Amino acid sequence: MAETSEARASPSAPGGDAGGEDDKPDERMLECNICLDTARDAVVSMCGHLFCWPCLHQWLETRPSRQVCPVCKAAISRDKVIPLYGRGNTKQEDPRNKVPPRPAGQRTEPENNGGFPGFGFGEGFHMSFGIGAFPFGVFTSTFNFGDPRPSAAPRGTAQYEEEQFLSKIFLWVAILFVLWLIFA
Amino acid sequence: MANIAAKRVKREIKEVMKSEEIMGGAFKLELINNSWTELQGEITGPPDTPYESGKFLLEIKVPETYPFNPPKIRFITKIWHPNVSSVTGAICLDILKDQWAAALTLRTVLLSIQALLSEAEPDDPQDAVVARQYKEYPSIFAMTATHWTNVYAEGKKAIVDYNRRVQVLLEMGVEEHQARVALSTHNWNLEVATEELFS
Repeated sequence: MAETSEARASPSAPGGDAGGEDDKPDERMLECNICLDTARDAVVSMCGHLFCWPCLHQWLETRPSRQVCPVCKAAISRDKVIPLYGRGNTKQEDPRNKVPPRPAGQRTEPENNGGFPGFGFGEGFHMSFGIGAFPFGVFTSTFNFGDPRPSAAPRGTAQYEEEQFLSKIFLWVAILFVLWLIFA
Repeated sequence: MANIAAKRVKREIKEVMKSEEIMGGAFKLELINNSWTELQGEITGPPDTPYESGKFLLEIKVPETYPFNPPKIRFITKIWHPNVSSVTGAICLDILKDQWAAALTLRTVLLSIQALLSEAEPDDPQDAVVARQYKEYPSIFAMTATHWTNVYAEGKKAIVDYNRRVQVLLEMGVEEHQARVALSTHNWNLEVATEELFS
């Protein structure tokens, strides 16, 4: 590294291969060890290696049986990384709580998909429409207390929107049915 | 191709271009196509080994899942080495398989392959014939590897005796590479090699 190091008068620059026009050693310090870009949603492993959380997550997903640090091969796991919060970003959300982008297909729950196709509107929507116990049956369709249901789709996803929409439709159907019973 | 793979290959090539001055031409890396999926590497045989001064071409295929999965690398240049198939050029190197880590780069992988040329692992062979020779007849192995480097990789050191034996088989009408493989496999015993070729 001594032979043609351009006279940039910075003898302190460590690591011979740094030193291009745009890669200052300071910035390279904050590069993710997987994508080699500046780390976003940065996390650091117990062995001290920096990664983007989405990158590290994908690495852990790729080899579930061999969870090692991509740099030093020390044992590593989701729970043993520390998120880094710089001053810059205002909402200090744990990057591990965000759903990282995953190229592989998302796994869907097997329930609700068999036996009753007409009402298979995804998990989280249960309809009990009891005509026999008429005035009270209506309430069960909208107010389902105490009845353990599978967890609803997370807020913000397309499925969540769909479920909200469907539940509104059924609420209106129920109301119209009640009105029809009263006035007919 | 997945975005992260292309982006990383671009960065890595940039890194190699910078490091090349430092490496003093120990290896080269160039793109084959513009989709960043196929590259060609060239490593120089390490000094004080049978591969000294040889130029070995490598085929590098970057999978879409790179860097989460290792690049696929094989020798294009024929080489006589216990961990490289003398037929296909396939490399037996743990970091190209289960010991791959996402922080490894094409540069570090090429360096590892170069190191493999200095230090073979005959107990984890890719080419059993070569590995047996390496263990049982180390001096014949070294000469054979030097000979192959000379013939296929522009190595400077010629093994005159081996050239002569290949020539003998050539005059019998045997194809050159086939003759070399037969002789190398049978520890340069001309009789045994001839017997095998004409049986």
